[in-house]
Amino acid sequence: MSGIDLSVEFCGIRFPNPFVLAAAPPTDSAEMIARGFDAGWGGAVVKTLGLEHVPVYLVSPMMAGLSYEDKSLIGLENIDLISERDIGEVLEEVTDLKRRYPDNVLIVSVMASSEDDWKEITRRVQDAGADMIECSFSCPHGMPERGMGSAVGQDADLTYERARWVVEAARVPVLIKLTPNVTDMRPIAERVREAGAAGVTAINTVKGLLGFDVETFAPIPSVAGKSTAGGLSGPAVKPIALRFVSDVAKDVGIPVAGVGGVVTWRDAVEFMLAGAGIVEVCTAVMRYGYDIVEELTEGLALYLEDRGLASPGDLVGKGLANVVSHEELSREFKTVATIDRDLCVGCGGCVVACRDGGHQAVAFPDDAAPGEERIPVVDDEKCIGCGFCRTICPIDGCISMEEREELRAGA
Amino acid sequence: MSADNGPAGGLAELERTYAPHEAVLEASRCLLCEEPPCNKGCPAGVDVRRFVRKIRFGNFRGAARLIRDANVLVGVCGRVCPQEMLCMEHCTRANLDTPIDIAGLQRFAGDVEIGTLAPLPQTEPERTARVAIIGAGPAGLAAAAELRKAGYAVDVRERAGVAGGVLTRGIPPFRLDPAFVRSEIDFVRRLGADFHFDEAVSSVDALFDEGFDAVFIAAGLWRPYRLGIDGADLDGVLVAGEFLESVALGETPDIGDAVVVVGGGNVALDAATAARRLGAGRVTVACLESFEEMPAFRSEIEEARSEGIECRTRTRPVRFRGKDGRVAAYEGVGIRWKEPDLLVPSNAEDVPGTDFSIKVDTVIVAIGQGVLDRFEGLETDDRGLVKVDAESMATSRPGVFAGGDAVSGGATVVQAVAEGKRAAAAIAAYIEGSDPGAAAEGGWEGGVR
Repeated sequence: MSGIDLSVEFCGIRFPNPFVLAAAPPTDSAEMIARGFDAGWGGAVVKTLGLEHVPVYLVSPMMAGLSYEDKSLIGLENIDLISERDIGEVLEEVTDLKRRYPDNVLIVSVMASSEDDWKEITRRVQDAGADMIECSFSCPHGMPERGMGSAVGQDADLTYERARWVVEAARVPVLIKLTPNVTDMRPIAERVREAGAAGVTAINTVKGLLGFDVETFAPIPSVAGKSTAGGLSGPAVKPIALRFVSDVAKDVGIPVAGVGGVVTWRDAVEFMLAGAGIVEVCTAVMRYGYDIVEELTEGLALYLEDRGLASPGDLVGKGLANVVSHEELSREFKTVATIDRDLCVGCGGCVVACRDGGHQAVAFPDDAAPGEERIPVVDDEKCIGCGFCRTICPIDGCISMEEREELRAGA
Repeated sequence: MSADNGPAGGLAELERTYAPHEAVLEASRCLLCEEPPCNKGCPAGVDVRRFVRKIRFGNFRGAARLIRDANVLVGVCGRVCPQEMLCMEHCTRANLDTPIDIAGLQRFAGDVEIGTLAPLPQTEPERTARVAIIGAGPAGLAAAAELRKAGYAVDVRERAGVAGGVLTRGIPPFRLDPAFVRSEIDFVRRLGADFHFDEAVSSVDALFDEGFDAVFIAAGLWRPYRLGIDGADLDGVLVAGEFLESVALGETPDIGDAVVVVGGGNVALDAATAARRLGAGRVTVACLESFEEMPAFRSEIEEARSEGIECRTRTRPVRFRGKDGRVAAYEGVGIRWKEPDLLVPSNAEDVPGTDFSIKVDTVIVAIGQGVLDRFEGLETDDRGLVKVDAESMATSRPGVFAGGDAVSGGATVVQAVAEGKRAAAAIAAYIEGSDPGAAAEGGWEGGVR
């Protein structure tokens, strides 16, 4: 293991490393979180708690996976709710856990509706010893129907009002967890900032309907033959998360806890480049176990060492200057697909993709001698440099998009 | 010389390693078993599941380091281990389709840091105690690495002019690229082990007189057994060890077109495939055993047969006939076993009427090797193999430990690594004054972290 110090400061709190267990089933008890800390997680967000008078009735099954060809669980859809555990009991565990793990950061996720309830839950959580409070304004199912969750996070004024209540009651930094089920997160994040919260957590799950059983016509996951739109997480939502994280980090200027589809250290680096100060993970932990943090911390440390960087903090927001509007993209820069004849195995996937998906610029040569290996050729005149052939090529590095100076506009 | 110049690639290494995305794809087939059977299969104690997981999640250098912590011969074992008999044998994935290609993934991990100086692990503070290691083969290298990590001064005395033992002087280059061997030996040197070459040691007392606190004997088997039959001393009758050593060192001995290799073990198969790759058109392996009884790995037998090597199983050589002082014909006869399941020459009897003769340019004798040096004051068996406690590798003499082929009589590289590691643990316990046997059982991890 390298000697790199992975600790980061986020919203005034020192994290031993930027990897935090997101509010979800893996953080529903102190025993579980302790195992997570033992495995190496820098922090944890305790699964969302509500007050005693807001009962939680779960359904089952509440989870189903999205698979594609040979990839299972590229997305996980859930219709789970906030914790059904008694808040008093959990907060006793929080106090004990914080005593046992003083260096790990313990964030408690909460959800309420009235001003009194928000203020009460805030006080109780911080009195129990939480280092930070994360407010879920973003759960896309079950809670919005009751005026909570994403019903709040989709409305900038409701977000401001509730964030303000919490900030007024809070002595510890407050994170507001926002929903991606909006057209633009920035006006909402702006109001979070105005309310005085320390930062936002982005994103919660993406609302979706996973699918249907075509034999029974029941949606998935089927609860006695019926289902409802739920929250999608996992690698499938990572691009959506990166978009919202970079939007908020770039244009609102408030600290962001990034979450959504992180599996490897590379994913985490991408979130940091997009502006995330810490990275929360849930689906990968549920699938692979707490131990996966070893690959995150070790991989990140080796990466930093390679690049001569001292701290993960040196990455935060470093990619933002390169995220620009479409108008700002160069029209001078022109590329053409180039096929490496040594690597190509002649499957012709690019020929089909370009013929039917684009511009008829890639074709097998007509004049190949009998027995000669058939390697597709690119017609530079027809190729518009879209890059689609590269994305479908089964061989890494076989098709590259090479810049062609002579194609520059006006050249 | 026939027009057939042997298998494509000649002496260049056979194995191809994965591109990164291919390695991730293969690793993603791993079921990440909660109780991984692969881990139980590795004699060197490599946490297979964990290194496969590291590759899967893109932590390639972490994978290389994890393996190297348990086994300094990362790339070597990725190439020469019989994984199908060890870690891959019980892979849970085989219940679904095929086992994870752990061998290929280990080769990939071993290659990750090739060309760069692999970072050294944390070592314990330097200690004053000194350990002498006799032999720089797999067992000696493994023990040297562990003892250095634990802070002991280590002096390796090697009879030959080069480190590596069978790795550099036995296994042909198409099975094991010498570049990997060199970089892994270099890692042990960088850990701080002192190597002395062309230095044969046959007295343990001399080492204690030099002030060493403990001695590890890993001298290997370097005395070839020879045949006592007519014609055995003709020109063109080679012993496998010397033939393979010259090939391993990059020479291309002239062996002609027709070659018979005597023996049925891995060394015989290596000699046969090396002969094919040197251009011999007709290579025959002649051994006492049937195919099922041959001690060579199945994969090596299959490979040899796929390269057109013929086998004359259940036969023995009777005499070699010469012409002008050089071997020209190999005469053998079919045998059967007098007693079942006792596969030794004395149990073979000739089957009348099965005599045969093969025209040859070269005969390579690969019927085993024995110890070259006998150390005074140590209990040995009748073959001269050093007797040890199986856990601690302690010999009959306090402070003297032994491992590798000089103890086992010839086993795998990874077995030698495992013995070197166990011996290192026991040596540390011995030096620190605790019971070496107990220390080995207790899982001493001498400064691995």
